[in-house]
Amino acid sequence: MDREKLKKVKKDKLVLLARKSDIRGAHLMSKERLIDTLTRISEKKPGVKKGIKTKAQAQRVIKQIRTLPQQYRIKGRTAVAEQPLCREDSGGMMEKIEQQRVEASKYYAGPDYHYARQEEFQFPCGYGDNKIVAMVRDPWWVYSYWEVTHNKENEVKERIGRKGLNPEKSLLRIYDVTDIEFNGRNAHRFFDIELTGLANNWYINVGEPDRSWIIEIGILANNGEFFVLARSNCVRTPRFGMSDVIDEEWMCLDDDYWRMFGLSGGFGIGKGSLALKEMFKKRLMEQISSGGWSGALSSSPVRKALKQKGFWLVVDCELIVYGRTESDAKVTVQGKPVRLRKDGSFTLRYALPDGKQEIPVVATSFDGDDTRTITPIVTRKTI
Amino acid sequence: MEKGYLALVLHAHLPFVRHPEHEDFLEEDWLYEAITETYIPIIDVFEGLVRDKVPFRITMSLTPTLLSMLLDPLLQNRYLRHLDKLIELSAKEIERTRWQGQFGNLSIMYHNRFTRARQIFCDEYKMNIVNAFKKFYDLGVLEIITCGATHGFLPLMEVERRIAVRAQVAVGVDMHRKLFGRTPPGIWLPECAYNPGDDEVFKEFGIKYFLTDTHGILFGSPRPKFGVFAPCYCKSGVAAFGRDVESSKSVWSSQEGYPGDYNYREFYRDIGYDLEFDYIKPYILPDGTRINTGIKYYRITGETNNKEPYVPEWAMARAADHAANFMFNREKQVEHLHGIMGRRPIIISPYDAELYGHWWFEGPDWLNFLIRKIAYDQKSLKLITPSDYLKIYPRNQVLTPSYSSWGWKGYNEVWLEGSNDWIYRHMHKAVERMIELADMYSNREPDHFTRRALNQAARELLLAQSSDWAFIMKTATHSSYAYRRTKDHIYRFTRLYDEIKSAHIDGGFLSDIEGKDNLFPDIDYGIYCRK
Repeated sequence: MDREKLKKVKKDKLVLLARKSDIRGAHLMSKERLIDTLTRISEKKPGVKKGIKTKAQAQRVIKQIRTLPQQYRIKGRTAVAEQPLCREDSGGMMEKIEQQRVEASKYYAGPDYHYARQEEFQFPCGYGDNKIVAMVRDPWWVYSYWEVTHNKENEVKERIGRKGLNPEKSLLRIYDVTDIEFNGRNAHRFFDIELTGLANNWYINVGEPDRSWIIEIGILANNGEFFVLARSNCVRTPRFGMSDVIDEEWMCLDDDYWRMFGLSGGFGIGKGSLALKEMFKKRLMEQISSGGWSGALSSSPVRKALKQKGFWLVVDCELIVYGRTESDAKVTVQGKPVRLRKDGSFTLRYALPDGKQEIPVVATSFDGDDTRTITPIVTRKTI
Repeated sequence: MEKGYLALVLHAHLPFVRHPEHEDFLEEDWLYEAITETYIPIIDVFEGLVRDKVPFRITMSLTPTLLSMLLDPLLQNRYLRHLDKLIELSAKEIERTRWQGQFGNLSIMYHNRFTRARQIFCDEYKMNIVNAFKKFYDLGVLEIITCGATHGFLPLMEVERRIAVRAQVAVGVDMHRKLFGRTPPGIWLPECAYNPGDDEVFKEFGIKYFLTDTHGILFGSPRPKFGVFAPCYCKSGVAAFGRDVESSKSVWSSQEGYPGDYNYREFYRDIGYDLEFDYIKPYILPDGTRINTGIKYYRITGETNNKEPYVPEWAMARAADHAANFMFNREKQVEHLHGIMGRRPIIISPYDAELYGHWWFEGPDWLNFLIRKIAYDQKSLKLITPSDYLKIYPRNQVLTPSYSSWGWKGYNEVWLEGSNDWIYRHMHKAVERMIELADMYSNREPDHFTRRALNQAARELLLAQSSDWAFIMKTATHSSYAYRRTKDHIYRFTRLYDEIKSAHIDGGFLSDIEGKDNLFPDIDYGIYCRK
């Protein structure tokens, strides 16, 4: 897209445009960088959906952006930390798997459709709560959102002040509380994420499957003491891989497990457990990083509506044959009866292939006494 | 004697889309297309199998939102109107394509399909095709299972989890009992999303099993001895069945799988887009925006934009080949597994029902061929439902399945990412508020009016929780409808909450949204009581 054009667009629209191009973390970029990224994308992928070549196209896109729903009404920012498990190509087009596309086809009404939305209710910026909620995204990532009132924040800051301390920074403190009753001090370990600006939610790379986590939001004082504003629910990241626990009654040793695993996972029949274990690791990591675990197990994007590449033209011809007779007459066209309108008129419409068409139109009066035949002959030739 | 079992599970679901306030509403077409292209063809297949006395067992989940729409007179009438326009269009097409041999035959095929659909919908089932499914359920060929009330994504109900999950299940079970006269034997977890412990809720309602994705079982603890080829019991006693990857792949994957065959019909070429504007205008949106009509004349042909005409005979031959191939692979699979397991394995093959017919046009024919072939052409394999298997093998390993879903990457990322993560704070808040309201009236009877408002608030909350909205926000190019729906339901809920709390209920508003979001007529807000 034209750099000059982009410069005239407001930043929040650029962010939306970036989101449409699947650029992650666009809201954290400076306007300059956004323009850079967007320009780069359109240079890299001419002709694809997001590619914008002409001035007219650029204007159309800008217009589209203006009518886009403002999905990010909550004041604040989503911070997306680095995501090592999401492989993205430089254009940021996420690979999509087929199951998802098949499911999406249920909601597919057609490519050009856009729903005009009314504005009345706005989602509230907050509910006046002091709370933080943790949610699992996958075995390595936890999502958290929170809300802290000014009162609560001031109250804690005063408390810090009364102790002769100064608030230094806002933190998320993530505790590993696996298999313990957490009392604020007995976690296996914790780590901090420093919060900046107006963030009100965060994707946290806890990095460890099958552990339990509690998150606190709070303020760190200059002596290192942590003052809590809110504490979250406890979530457990999913196990990823074989369980270490063996059932005595349903004894299942490594070899057995890997054999069944290979069969369950569609790796085929008759592979040794060692080979399978290696295959599993390789394939599973590929799947997780490319998003292909489910359904397809094939990471390459497949059949979809092919976009016309570059400039194109489609032409076809149709022929309208129409006429009028007595309203009670019988009419056939090419030997096939035609239904007349009340006034005795009729219209027929044909897709016209190349070649010659003789179209005898025969009208017979109601009593069968009179007959008239008229035969247009039409030739289509396409070169 | 058979060596193993195959359980085909079709998950039929659409979110509740009903807009009496608009004469035409595009998203209602999701339902109409699914009825014409999927539900009626499947009913037609079952009908034929029963008529020919072919033995079979198949499982379907019919979600409460879908059932609600299929039962709704307004949508039934609108569907008929929609279908009649299709019949009219296909009749015009027969004329128009008279000089184009291949298309001419296709237009006759569509015309016949649509008129047959009308016959099934109107004449045989009097506009209510739920009765068709009930009939096959009662005949013992179909096992119907339930689902969360509005297909809410259960693992992400992180605030007041127990009550929120319980409400989704309670409404689904209640509807199933009223419609089909029995407790649902199983539940389809929305998006196959399982959170360990949710099974205790299923147990409470007498549900015997649910399905998970493959890794839900494989990563379970202790180690599953039989992989996904035998169910396991959760500690609650509810059984979990895991999806088989191999059989899934061959249908789901449009590249490696059957639906991508070049002889099959192309989904994306529709006369709604291809034909001359004035001619097609009465069948697209009133403002002239082109949409799909359902009449599609081309086959996939290849990785090209030059599509060739569809040839039904070729496609049918392929569908029969693919059914034979699928059956052969399953035979080999169960024979091999039987040898190493020392018992007869079960292969669970779950699919979106709408994949059949709507996406994969020939899918219902494939299903028909497959079921008939399994009945007559081999001996190793038998069709079964999960509850049949539990009767044959009541003793199974006890383990805790792993947290999982069948979405992209296997966990929650489709429903929890940049485009949709912001909705959860509002949905969670609404759950808290709903519980607050229900608790206000746990010891005293609300008056009639307040009760209506409380029940409607519960409906609005459930509707906001549909996983479809988050899915569309993530995947669709036009997500504004999903955004609007989330907003509408949160707004309606919030307004009811404020009005109930201030004991000042606006009757006009309440009646209006009761008329629009009219599903679950028997809902009881009491499901949100903390108790």
